[in-house]
Amino acid sequence: MASPILEVKGLSKHFAQRRGLLGLLSGNAGGTIPAVDGVSFALAEHETLGLVGESGCGKTTTGKAILKLMPVTAGEIRYRGQDITSLSPGEFRPLRREIQMIFQDLDAALNPKMRIESILREAIGLCEPELDADGLRRRTYELLELVNLKKNKLANFPSELSGGEKRRIGIARVLAVRPKLIVADEPTSALDVSIQAQVINLLRDLQGQFGLSYLFISHDLPLVELVSHRVAVMYLGQIVELGSAPRIAHAPHHPYTSVLWSSLAEKRSREAFPGAAPAWGVFDFERPSGGCRFAPRCPVYAARGKPAECTDPHNTPRLREIEPGHAVACHFPL
Amino acid sequence: MSPTPLLRIEDLRTYFYSRAKQAFIRSVDGVDLEIARGETLGIVGESGSGKSVTMHSTLGLITATPGVISGRVVFHDEAPRDLLAGLDACTRLERRDGRIMSVEKDNRAWQKQVERNLAGVRGGKIAMIFQNPKAAMNPYETIGAQISEAVRLHTAFKDPAAARERALHWLEAVRIDSPRLRYDNYPYGLSGGMCQRAMVAMALAAEPRMLIADEPTTGLDATIQARIVELLEELKTRFGMTLVLISHDIGVIARLSDRIAVMYGGQVLESGPAAMLLEQSEQGHPYTHALLASMPRAKNVKDGGRLPAIEGEVLDTINVPRGCRFRERCQRIHDGIRARCAEQEPELVEVTPGRRVRCWLYQA
Amino acid sequence: MSHYHQPHDTVSEYSDIRSWRSAPLIDRVYVGYGLAVVVLVVLSYLLGMFGWLPSDPDDMDLANMLAGPLTEGHLFGTDYMGRDLQTRLILGIQAYFLPGLLSIVIALVLGAALGVLAGYRGGRSETAVTYVTNLVDALPRLVLMLLVIAAFKPGIYTIMVVLGLTSAPTVAMLVQGKILMLRQRNFIESAVALGISPARIILKHILWYNCRALLLIQATLGMAEAVLLETSLSYLGFGVQEPTPSWGNMVQAGANYLLQGNFWVSTAPALAILFTVLGFHLLGDGLNNMFEGKRQR
Repeated sequence: MASPILEVKGLSKHFAQRRGLLGLLSGNAGGTIPAVDGVSFALAEHETLGLVGESGCGKTTTGKAILKLMPVTAGEIRYRGQDITSLSPGEFRPLRREIQMIFQDLDAALNPKMRIESILREAIGLCEPELDADGLRRRTYELLELVNLKKNKLANFPSELSGGEKRRIGIARVLAVRPKLIVADEPTSALDVSIQAQVINLLRDLQGQFGLSYLFISHDLPLVELVSHRVAVMYLGQIVELGSAPRIAHAPHHPYTSVLWSSLAEKRSREAFPGAAPAWGVFDFERPSGGCRFAPRCPVYAARGKPAECTDPHNTPRLREIEPGHAVACHFPL
Repeated sequence: MSPTPLLRIEDLRTYFYSRAKQAFIRSVDGVDLEIARGETLGIVGESGSGKSVTMHSTLGLITATPGVISGRVVFHDEAPRDLLAGLDACTRLERRDGRIMSVEKDNRAWQKQVERNLAGVRGGKIAMIFQNPKAAMNPYETIGAQISEAVRLHTAFKDPAAARERALHWLEAVRIDSPRLRYDNYPYGLSGGMCQRAMVAMALAAEPRMLIADEPTTGLDATIQARIVELLEELKTRFGMTLVLISHDIGVIARLSDRIAVMYGGQVLESGPAAMLLEQSEQGHPYTHALLASMPRAKNVKDGGRLPAIEGEVLDTINVPRGCRFRERCQRIHDGIRARCAEQEPELVEVTPGRRVRCWLYQA
Repeated sequence: MSHYHQPHDTVSEYSDIRSWRSAPLIDRVYVGYGLAVVVLVVLSYLLGMFGWLPSDPDDMDLANMLAGPLTEGHLFGTDYMGRDLQTRLILGIQAYFLPGLLSIVIALVLGAALGVLAGYRGGRSETAVTYVTNLVDALPRLVLMLLVIAAFKPGIYTIMVVLGLTSAPTVAMLVQGKILMLRQRNFIESAVALGISPARIILKHILWYNCRALLLIQATLGMAEAVLLETSLSYLGFGVQEPTPSWGNMVQAGANYLLQGNFWVSTAPALAILFTVLGFHLLGDGLNNMFEGKRQR
C-alpha cells in the first residue's frame, strides 16, 4: 500500500507473571504471559482495520501499546514512517494528539467531578491554547454539533449522562485534539442496540469528514465486518488471519475464523464442522505450547488426525499470503 | 382458548423511589405476560426496559423500595396461586391524572408475606439463572456442594450421598467436562462458560417447572455463548422445559424462543410468535421493526453506508411521558394519530391471532 | 408504613450534585457545628493576635477569685488568681493554632506527595513508599513525642513538625488508595493518551478534583490531633509555661482546686478542649459522609 499511516512489526507485550513463593517452589519460576506476541500489520490512511477476537486475545493490549500507554517488550511501531517505539514520553507527547483512543470503558475519559464543559475545554486547550473565551466557546459548540449532542449537556456531570451520551463526549474529546488515527476499543459494546447504530453512523461520518483512519477493536464479528475495510483476526496474542472484510466474513481460511463466525448465536454451528471438538474456552497462557496455539481447539487438527506439524514448537505457523491481500497463519488453511 | 398458562403476570408494577429527585423510577409499569407450559418466551429489551425487574419481581427478589406495588402473578402449578397475594393489603396507591404519584407501603409486612407466598416456589418450582455466573455462585463453596444443596432442599433426595449422585447427574446433563472433577472445584477455578453451566445445573437440580434465564450469555465469549445457547436448546427438547429467556441480544432470543415479548420503558410493546415478530416486523410495533433494522449487521446497511438508527435516547423510566412511551423516537407517526400518541397510552391489543401490539397504528 | 411521594410530573435532568443539600440532617448538623467551631477558633486567634481581649490576662481581680461563670465583669468566671477566664481561654488558642496549621501543612503536602509517588508511578516507588509509611505509622506517636522532648527539649513548632511528619503516612495511604481507584476507571490512562502532561494530571485531575475532600477532612482531623497534643503536653508541663495561658496548663493548674469543690477553674478549659476537638472531628466526619460516602442515584 502507499505509505501507511501506521505500521506495526513484530509487536510483543509480555506481562510478567508474579509467582508467589509456592509457585517458585513448585517449579513454575516467573513465566511471562505473552499477551501480544509478534503482531504485524499496516493500516492505510482513511482505512478502517478491524481487529477482532475473543477476550484475552490481546486486541486491547495491542491498541494500548500503539498509543504507548505501556512499554512494549519487543517490536516496532511506525507512525507515518517515523519509529515511535523508542521515543521518550516527553518526545512523544506532541505526537499523541494525532494518535488517539476511544476507550472501551464509557467512563474512562470523563473525570466524574468535572462538568462536560470543562472536560471539553481542557481537551481543546491542549490543541489550541491560544484561543480566547469566545473561540473556546465556539469550538466547544462545534464539537458538540459534530457528535450530535445538545448544548444543554455542557453543564452536566458525567454521571448525569446516558451511555450513548458518554460515548459521544468521549469521541468529542478525542476529536478536540484533531487526531489522524483513532484506535476505537469496543466503541459500542456497552451500549444499547438502538444506540449502537447511532455511534457507528457517527464514526463513519467523522471518517469521511476528517479523513480519519481507524483501528477498530471488537469482539462483535458482524459489526466488524460492517465497519471495516480489512480485518485482522487475533487468537492468544497472535494474528491468525488478515484480509478484506467480506472475505474474512464469508470465505475465511483459518479454522479459528471459521469457528468464530459459525458460532454466532443466530446460526447453528453444526454447519461448519460436524462433530467439531467442544471448544472449551479457557485460554491457557500457562502452557504456551510451541507451534500453533489453536491446535488443541482446532477442528481441522482433530479431523486430520492430529498432525505433528501443528504442535511442533519449531514450526509455529506464520502469516503467509495465500491470495493477494489475504494472509493466514496455518499449516492447513481452509 | 389455549390451555392455562404456567405463569401469568397481570398488570405488574414495580417502582423504585429516588430521594434525590423525589420521583418514582417506573421500572415495570403495567406488564402483562403469559407463559405456556413447555414453551420458551424470549423477553427482549434495552436497558431500562424492565425485563429483568419483571422476572425478579415475580420471584420476590426485589428488595429496593417501594418495589412491587401492584399486580398479580398467577402460577399454575397443581392449583393456581397468586405469588403476589397480600400485596393490596400492604400497599396504598394514589393517582393523579391517571398516574400513580404517591405510594404507601408496609415494606416489612410485605417482605414477610412474600416469603410465605414463595415458600417452595422460589428455587424449587421456578428456578433462575443470572448474568455473571461467577458472581452469582457462592465463592466459598464448591459447585458440587451448591448443587447438592439445591437437590436436598427441593427434591426427595435428602441423603447426602444420593444428593451427590443427583448433582453429578445434572453436571453431566449440562455437559460440563469431567463432572466428578468439577464437582470439587470452586467457582473461581472455572471459566465463565463452565460456571454458567454449573449454575444451570444448580437450577435444574431442583427439578423446577420453569427456568428463568436472565442474560445467560452476556459477558461470555462468542464461542462460549453459542455453546450455552446450544445447551439451553438441548434442555428444552430433552426435558420439555418451560423457559423464560431475558436478553438484549436479539440473536440469542431469535434462536431459542417460541414466543417473544418486546419491552421498552417498563411496558410490553409487542408479543407474539417468534417467527412472526422477527420476519414480519413491519406489521408489528414500530419499535421492534426499527430495532431489527438498526442492528449493526451488514445486511442492514443502506446506500451511503449508514445504518437506519433509531434517533434519540432510550427512555429513562424516571421521566415517563404522557401517551405512548415510544412516541419521541417513532418514525411511523403520522398526523392522523399524532394527537392520540401524545395524550393517550395505547393498550396491548391483539392485532392478528397470537400477536399483540401496543400501538395506535393498529387501533381505531 | 413507608411513604413515597412524587410532587412533580416531570423530573429535571440535573441531579442534585450539590451534596450538602441532599445530605441527611445529621451530617448537616455536624458540619454546621464544626464550621461554627472553626470560625470561633479563627476569630479567637485573631482577637488574641491583635490583643483585642475583654480584659488583661494577667490582671488579677482579687475580689473575685475562683468565680464561676456569669460573674460581674467575667463572663466565664475567674481562675485561682482572679484572672479572667474568658481572656485566658481566648489566648490559649495561640498556643496551638499556628503550630497546628504547620503540622497540617506538612502532613498534607508530604502525604500527598508520597501518595502520588506511590500511586502514580507504582512499581518500586510504591513499594518504597509503602515500606516507609508502614514504618512511620508503626511508631506510637505520644511516646515518640515524649522521647523527642526528653532528648531535644524542642519548642512547640518543632513538636508540630514531628506531628506533621508522623501524620503524613495516613494521608499518603489515602491518596494512594484514591489514585488506585481512579486507575480502575482508566481515567489516568485516558488523560495521558490525550496528551496532558503528568504534572497537570497529578495536580488538577487527581489532587484538586478527586482528593480535595479527602485532604480537607484530613486537615480537620489533623487540627484536632494538634489541639490534643499541645494541650496534653502543656498539661504535663512540657509546653507553654505559666503565666502564659494554654488550655492544658490551665487544666493542670486548676486541678489543685478540684478537691476544694471549685470545679470550674479546671473544667472550663477542659470543656473548651472538648468542644473544640469535637467540632473538628464532627466537621471531618460530616464532610466525609457528604462527599466521600455512598452516592445516591
